[in-house]
Amino acid sequence: MRKRLPGWLADAALILYFVFSLFPVAWMAILSLKPANQLFSTYFSFTPTLDAYRTVLGGSEGIPFVRFFGNSLVVSVGAVALSLVVGLPAAYASARWRFKGSEHLMFTLLSFRFAPELTVIIPLFVLYQKLGLFDTYTGMVWVLQLVTLPLVVWIMRSYFADLSPELEQAALLDGYSRTQAFFKVALPLVKPGIAAVSLLAFIFAWNNFVFPLILTSHEAQTVTVGALSFLGGDRPKYHLTAAAALVSVVPPLLLALTIQRYLVRGLSFGAVKS
Amino acid sequence: MSIALRDVRKSYGRTTALDGLDLDVREGEFFCLLGPSGAGKTTTLKTVAGLERPDAGTVEIDGRDMRDVEPYDRGVAMCFESYALYPHRSVYDNLVSPLRSPRHRLPAAEARDRVGAVAELLGIGGLLDRMPGQLSNGQRQRVALGRVLVRPARAFLLDEPLSHLDAKLRQQMRAELKAIGAVRRTTTLYVTHDSVEALALGDRIGVIRAGRIVQTGTREDIWYRPYDTEVARAFGRPRINLLPGAVTGSGTFRSPDGALELPLPLRVAAGTEVLVGVRPRDVSLTGEGHRLTGTVYVTEVLGRSVEVTVRIGAQHLSLVASRAEAAGLRPDDPVRPAVRPEHLLVFEADRAGVPGRRIGTSP
Repeated sequence: MRKRLPGWLADAALILYFVFSLFPVAWMAILSLKPANQLFSTYFSFTPTLDAYRTVLGGSEGIPFVRFFGNSLVVSVGAVALSLVVGLPAAYASARWRFKGSEHLMFTLLSFRFAPELTVIIPLFVLYQKLGLFDTYTGMVWVLQLVTLPLVVWIMRSYFADLSPELEQAALLDGYSRTQAFFKVALPLVKPGIAAVSLLAFIFAWNNFVFPLILTSHEAQTVTVGALSFLGGDRPKYHLTAAAALVSVVPPLLLALTIQRYLVRGLSFGAVKS
Repeated sequence: MSIALRDVRKSYGRTTALDGLDLDVREGEFFCLLGPSGAGKTTTLKTVAGLERPDAGTVEIDGRDMRDVEPYDRGVAMCFESYALYPHRSVYDNLVSPLRSPRHRLPAAEARDRVGAVAELLGIGGLLDRMPGQLSNGQRQRVALGRVLVRPARAFLLDEPLSHLDAKLRQQMRAELKAIGAVRRTTTLYVTHDSVEALALGDRIGVIRAGRIVQTGTREDIWYRPYDTEVARAFGRPRINLLPGAVTGSGTFRSPDGALELPLPLRVAAGTEVLVGVRPRDVSLTGEGHRLTGTVYVTEVLGRSVEVTVRIGAQHLSLVASRAEAAGLRPDDPVRPAVRPEHLLVFEADRAGVPGRRIGTSP
């Protein structure tokens, strides 16, 4: 038998790790609560104030952070929704049928994730300028498909593949069409997978930085880029950036907590063949 | 409705599931397809149902070619061996599913009555609110059967529908299954690996092996005129005795060590290597017939009767005797079992991988 660490040692190690991983978050929180004049002069002793949050959310620095926040929501939700609408049937088809070129198609889709976004950003920028997609919601939702669609298709494909085709076959023999078999039988059974993949895709879309940095300027700019705007100007306002960053963690966090019930089942379901 | 498969071939990658399968199921018949796992039984059913597309060959239903006819347009109901119950719906919703589909839709009240009647018939009336996950395998199997019986169908395709029931329930359901009016009137293709089930249920039986039908016939055909040694072995417990030997110049059978000699019921060329088959219940310790001389090897009580294995030279011959006849038999006791020549089946000797065919008039 393997020797086990004594209880207190294991606890100590866990606490150490906990401190280590939470420290950056704590540092950000501290930063966001500092008044501007104590920003560089102290570490832990300062007069806490919510001024940074007021400034960020009030837009008094001339930076419409609330609108960026709204943009992020619209663009991320839009990207995930479009990916689900397109990706779920695609994942189902590729899990159930081998058709001509199906494997190539799947590989092409996956290959979107191989190249760093920076390698395609210049041509995309030119295209977006010419097509009038630059700095628009449509343009952002579209470009984010490079991030979210492969994720949805590949993860959902394994969920569908794990589902016995006999369930849909039973539906066919019960008198339902193939489309009805998909909607009434297959789709409800991969709900945990849909929850998990939606969250993942949302986080990826929300956190994306390069695409909004290059392909938006003001109208469709998102929080990731917007939070950095506070660093521009004559002197960097780290406390504002910290506050903006912390505010922008809220939606993914809330989403994760809401669908946690599905998530735990969802993440293990795909991995374990029943 | 009648079902006909003509030279149907199907392979999955390098595995051949159906290798030129021919099958005829007549209108209203209860047809049992019997074979070991991997023989192609389920593939045959799914091909009839339209869930698998054959690589070659045709499937005809009522004489009509079913190529490109979707499963839901074939009018067949199928019970899957895996049950294929919808795990996210209650037993009631599973059972009523066909009656809510566009093709078999019934008004809700009528559907409820229909489901109630079928659930009653199968003894699952109390389970309607449960989810499939909360049921035992036997209960799931009955729900799966119920989903088949609840709807009108021109043919039933049943894939091992009793295999997961416990012994007592299986026996009871086996008796009840054929008594169900719908099953009695409707063409049924029933797949099983259990020869007892096939003999008990099938109006006719098809024996399938490695993707081909080896023999089709009534239970009498299969029992008295098995196509080859493997079919003979598949039916009957204790298993048929297959004694190796050769035909002598005078037309009798003799084992290699000469200890066992039997008259044959038909003429076979002298010198032919054969297997002589005789079922244990056709050998008796006290009855009439050709007497053999041997010693008791082992006895095993099978309820009211006893299986006695007799050693004759180097060969073992098993027979079934009543408990009274076998009372007091001990190993090495001398016995003189009797065999009637008309009970003997003569087969060609098995060759590597090929079971010996029966010699005699074809079935």
